Amino acid sequence: MNIDYSQEVPTVAGRLTPAQIEELVAKPMETKPNKKYFIALSISVSLLLIGATFLAFSLYYGTGLWGNNQPVGWAFPIVNFVFWVGIGHAGTLISAILFLLRQKWRTGIARFAEAMTIFAVMCAGIFPIIHTGRPWLAGYLTPYPNQHSLWVNFTSPLVWDVFAVSTYFTVSFVFWYVGLIPDFATLRDRTASKLKKTIYSVFSLGWRHSNRHWTHYEKSYILLAGFATPLVLSVHTIVSFDFAVSIIPGWHTTIFPPYFVAGAIFSGFAMVVTVLVFVRKIFDLQHIITLDHLEKMNKVILLTGMMVGYAYAMEFFIAWYSGVQAEQFVFINRAFGPYAWAYWIMVSCNVIFPQFFWFKKIRRSIPIMMVIVILVNVGMWFERFVIVVTSLSRDFLPSSWAYYKPTIVDFGILLGSFGLFFTLVILFTKSLPVVSISEVKASADGAQPTHHGGADHE
Amino acid sequence: MSEFKADQTNASQNQTPDPNYWRSFEALHNDPDVIEAKNHEFKEGVTDDFSPSGLSGLSRRKFLALLGASAALAGTACTDYRDKGEIVPYNIKPEEITVGKPNYYASTCTSCANSCGILIKTREGRPIKVDGNPDHPVNKGKICAKGQASILNLYDPERLKNPLKQRDGIFNSLNWKDADTDILAALTFIGSKEIVIVTHTVTSPTSLKVLEDFKAKFPTTKIYSYELFSDSVKNSAWRKTNGSGNYPLVKWNDAKVILSLESDFLGTEGNKVETARLFAEGRNVDAKSFNRLYTVDSSLTITGINADYRLRLRPEAQYEFVMSLMNELGNKGALNISVNTAGFSLNSFATKYNLKKEVLNHLVSDLASNKGKAIIDAGNSLPENVHIAVNLLNAALSNSAMFRTDSALSTLVNNSSFQDLELLVQNMQSGNVEVVIHLDSNPVYHFAEDLGYKDALGKVGLVVSLSERENETTNLSNYVLPINHNFESWGDAKARTGIISLQQPVIAPINDTRQKEAILLTWISGIADTFTEKLYHDFLMRNWEAAIYPTLNSKLDFNRFWLGALHDGIVLVNETVPSPTLSAGTAGLLSGGVSSVNGYTVVIKENYSLADGRFAHNGWLQELPHPISKITWDNYAAVSEKTCKDLGLKNNDVVEIAIGDRKLSLPVFMQAGSADEVITIESGYGKSYSGTVASRVGFNVNSLLSKVSNYSSWIYSGASISKTGDTYELASSQEHHAFDDAKTQDLHKSRNIIQEATVSGYVKNPHIIKEKHHGELISVYDPHAYPGLKWGMSIDLNRCTGCGDCVVACNVENNIPVVGKDQVLKSREMQWLRIDRYYSGSPDEPSVSLQPMLCQHCDQAPCENVCPVVATTHSPDGLNQMVYNRCVGTRYCSNNCPYKVRRFNFFNFRDHFRDSYQESPILALMHNPEVTVRSRGVMEKCTFCVQRISEARADATHDKRILKGSDVTTACQDSCGTNAIQFGDINDKESEFYKYRNHELGYYVLEELNIHPNVTYIAKLRNIHSEEV
Repeated sequence: MNIDYSQEVPTVAGRLTPAQIEELVAKPMETKPNKKYFIALSISVSLLLIGATFLAFSLYYGTGLWGNNQPVGWAFPIVNFVFWVGIGHAGTLISAILFLLRQKWRTGIARFAEAMTIFAVMCAGIFPIIHTGRPWLAGYLTPYPNQHSLWVNFTSPLVWDVFAVSTYFTVSFVFWYVGLIPDFATLRDRTASKLKKTIYSVFSLGWRHSNRHWTHYEKSYILLAGFATPLVLSVHTIVSFDFAVSIIPGWHTTIFPPYFVAGAIFSGFAMVVTVLVFVRKIFDLQHIITLDHLEKMNKVILLTGMMVGYAYAMEFFIAWYSGVQAEQFVFINRAFGPYAWAYWIMVSCNVIFPQFFWFKKIRRSIPIMMVIVILVNVGMWFERFVIVVTSLSRDFLPSSWAYYKPTIVDFGILLGSFGLFFTLVILFTKSLPVVSISEVKASADGAQPTHHGGADHE
Repeated sequence: MSEFKADQTNASQNQTPDPNYWRSFEALHNDPDVIEAKNHEFKEGVTDDFSPSGLSGLSRRKFLALLGASAALAGTACTDYRDKGEIVPYNIKPEEITVGKPNYYASTCTSCANSCGILIKTREGRPIKVDGNPDHPVNKGKICAKGQASILNLYDPERLKNPLKQRDGIFNSLNWKDADTDILAALTFIGSKEIVIVTHTVTSPTSLKVLEDFKAKFPTTKIYSYELFSDSVKNSAWRKTNGSGNYPLVKWNDAKVILSLESDFLGTEGNKVETARLFAEGRNVDAKSFNRLYTVDSSLTITGINADYRLRLRPEAQYEFVMSLMNELGNKGALNISVNTAGFSLNSFATKYNLKKEVLNHLVSDLASNKGKAIIDAGNSLPENVHIAVNLLNAALSNSAMFRTDSALSTLVNNSSFQDLELLVQNMQSGNVEVVIHLDSNPVYHFAEDLGYKDALGKVGLVVSLSERENETTNLSNYVLPINHNFESWGDAKARTGIISLQQPVIAPINDTRQKEAILLTWISGIADTFTEKLYHDFLMRNWEAAIYPTLNSKLDFNRFWLGALHDGIVLVNETVPSPTLSAGTAGLLSGGVSSVNGYTVVIKENYSLADGRFAHNGWLQELPHPISKITWDNYAAVSEKTCKDLGLKNNDVVEIAIGDRKLSLPVFMQAGSADEVITIESGYGKSYSGTVASRVGFNVNSLLSKVSNYSSWIYSGASISKTGDTYELASSQEHHAFDDAKTQDLHKSRNIIQEATVSGYVKNPHIIKEKHHGELISVYDPHAYPGLKWGMSIDLNRCTGCGDCVVACNVENNIPVVGKDQVLKSREMQWLRIDRYYSGSPDEPSVSLQPMLCQHCDQAPCENVCPVVATTHSPDGLNQMVYNRCVGTRYCSNNCPYKVRRFNFFNFRDHFRDSYQESPILALMHNPEVTVRSRGVMEKCTFCVQRISEARADATHDKRILKGSDVTTACQDSCGTNAIQFGDINDKESEFYKYRNHELGYYVLEELNIHPNVTYIAKLRNIHSEEV
């Protein structure tokens, strides 16, 4: 096998010219939405409304409408929270860490992944608030000066969560917006509509593609990337502290921070692949979001999946090695107790199915890839369910054990969060460039000066 | 403007304007007003003294007063309690009331025939808590769950509020005068026809006098009294073997060996408050002296779970067992009386019923070597021949020494026999009975259906029911007259010789109700107008003055004696009890042979909480988990594991149980420790026409009762059981784990949650528990110092019988709502204190361990550091506190609590339970005003009764003394009949509590977590013939 390592695989296929790239990416914003778009939007908005209705009921009657009970104080809302925060990990990883690592293939997918991060964190952020008994007092979780001189409890991981997630959201949002500025300018220049022009002008902050602008832009972008990179690791580390800092067997585990981060990247990538497969097809972006991109992401999924699998095995080993009866029981109970079904869904979806990605053919086959990444999404949701619910339902005193059963309201709110996510994604595809025009142009073949003296190097 | 100009000229003469510094145009142009104002630092009036009279008509104070008054009006305008005219605050304070300070009144509990003395705590005239009367010689300051919860009956919004008259099945309100007039007319023109009064056991001498007066006024009156569950068989057997009197009281505290046959003397039989106390006195850890309890019974009872040795036996074999035991003891030469026990052999009996011979050998040798120090107690439900054999055996073993001679059960009127009741029904059927008066009784629900009482009522001209609330009997009555609750009533009670308790009202009748005796007295007078609130009070005093006072030889005049007696709640009378002597020829009374019973047997048992159903409307008692099965809100058919397997049954399968043509469908529950082929069903459920709480709860087992029985009134042989295919979900407060699941079996032991030893093991090695501890772990930090008073609790598991009285006491003290069956199914009970029950061993012969579990107030509480908003904190005196106002309800604290003792308000449970039943304004009067009523979305838990600590501290400060640990008792501690719970200052080395706290058998649950709990458990010792558990 002869592989030419002197050449990078082109990140943009089909030798598109910058004009073509611009044309392709800007097209959805310049055409009227079609019927399919409205069908998709109405489905996702319906889901959103279902969730909103059930949420309204729970706010009116109380958290008692859910399945939560005495040992299982946390269930669906916290599972969903961790799940969505996890989904939100791919974006910043792709845009910040891969940017710092000079991975050019990220350009095609970075924008979309970042947008998904923001939407996922928005979905996630809802849950910690609504899961409380008195959501109208959620402000107590923020440290604000008050006449009681009452401060929040800085030893509580939930307070750390508030800071971690809000910081992550803010930085991701700023990072995303900064990346959008040159594209806003491009769109401003392309559009003839007066209204659009005004809006784009405002958001492009007077960008004129000048050399100075680009210099500043590059500098700020790399600084933001550097700033965002530790956040990718810190957010899920801190989310994992919600569990690891407690004393409940199954939660009280030092492996949680790296395990949660790996799991988050795993699920985030799976979600990005899930959505991109549709987007590249619908918006005709196969040349920009190429099969190579998807394959690379599948490789990351394979890697992180194995990291997660390692963590599962290590949890069992440490439980055995600790010699602590309660600890050992929790893990045996996970695999063979009343929630064994959830455990084995988790293991098969997260550890077994991703192993198919060892095969290049499967990595590059859209239908099989779709099945696997959706299973990974399911598996990662169940991973959080297994951690949160099984540990709580059977802890130290057998007298207080109880089986947790979710109610229709639990499912309704979960559906609603998907509704919110996809509604935002769908609106995003028609209102903002789903691919970074400037970055793709810059990484397209021929955009860089080469000693071949041109683009024809094949 | 013109004025301004004119002034300007004036001013300019005096002062030169300075255009550089001006604050307004007026100042710039030297307005004289401004110049004048500059001379005064303050505006006019500002410096005047405050004078309310000078304020406007609607001052701030007045506004607030009006606001408060209108809110108060709005709050009370729609309530049901009796209108007393305008609302007047304590402008002139009643002499006996200090706002914020409770008053206590001695009275008598009428929840059952035991008539315990109670002390009712009232705040600003509202009863809010019931405790035992410490001066009462029987219950000594303790009261059972039913007595505790009876306060809810007082405020029950569904109590009848005025007299009702039925026409064509519809009840209409009418006033007392009309009701009395109508009934009097019927009574007066009765002619030769009978008037029948049906009542429960009469315990009040003065009530009896009223009944006698009634009988004198209306000579055709017949009085019938009954109890669904009673010791009538035991007493009649006693009279056969010992001539007269009732079965004596037992010196449970002195007995070294106790053999209980199908008896639940720690649960439902006799006065369990007293019995449990005496029994626990016989299990003294400090003296290392333990009685040994053997039980031989068909179902697992409170007595059974406290036994050192337990044998399962179907009830029909009890006679054979006693005779075989007698035979064996006779063979050993241990009997003083020779009894012909031919044909009985303990050995073959053991083989026949698969009993452990080892246990029987221990039993025989214990009984033989403890003659005169043992007692054999047969259950109330067993037939007469067993009781006769037991009486004989006790006498033959000289165990009569264990019978008390200081006091005995007293019977004012013997309850009616089945023959009496059959005669009554015949009379009713034949039209001889014109009037039936139900005196606070519910015979339609209680009487066996084949007695035909319900149908016979239709033949009676006038049915009058005197009742606190609707029930099956009132539904079939022409007139329903609402009566006072115990706490609104006068009275006296004599359940024991030598003791008369007094009952006094602590609140004016809340509704338009009357005391039942006063209603009878009105009728006796023959005039409907006679009634006054004082009617029965005067009668009671006159009766005492005439009948009882003279016998007492009191040196006080009657009025002073009377007030003193009311204050104390009891009067001691000199009465002697004959010591029991066995009649000659008792051995000849023995009848019965070797049993050969096959098929299924139904045992009908009194429910621990609801009794015979009279507490079915009480949510606290419905929700108190069954002491053994932990099931709430339902009764069920309890069967053994083998019987379940034989019939292919699982928990919650609905079965149909048939005895002859009487049938009942109800769910099945596999109760460990049940005898095979025995179906135990508890009474008190399946009520109809009984209000919001009692309806749709459980199954009416009284439908299986019959006037004829092939074994006893409560035990029926030859029943059949079949699966219906339906299922019905039972709500348990504790998950049931399979015995054969190796993963979950005996976890309570392997995790050291329950630590036990045996008496002989402990005597040999006093450190048997302590040496298992792995000592203090090293901490990075210096532990927080608690130099002063620090609260702690100690629970002696040797004394805890698992009855659950403490749970109800906690409910009442701390305003804990009822959540309902649906929420128990979701595992959302709100009780702050629970009794954990663990099984070990086999499902046939389970060993039961009990553990009251409440907030452990850990020094290093895991709940505290995870709360994001600091809503749960630690006090300097060692309490783990909840700040309800700050709690946002993240439930993180509950997750991180290893004991899972925190309780979350998932709903506003008062609103959620049965259409806001608990939101009735009247129920708000019941709340302890010192304890916050928690809202939805808030976490709560045991506070160690912090309100009592605060009160004690305030008192100590007021008296200028230092607060001591012994100044405070918690509600659970007060209620514990066996004094298993001790509370006090951990740091007070002088205190009694210190001894318990640092007991050598003491341990902490989950000590290895290093969270330093402050509840010490004193390990249970089993008095078995082994050093190992």
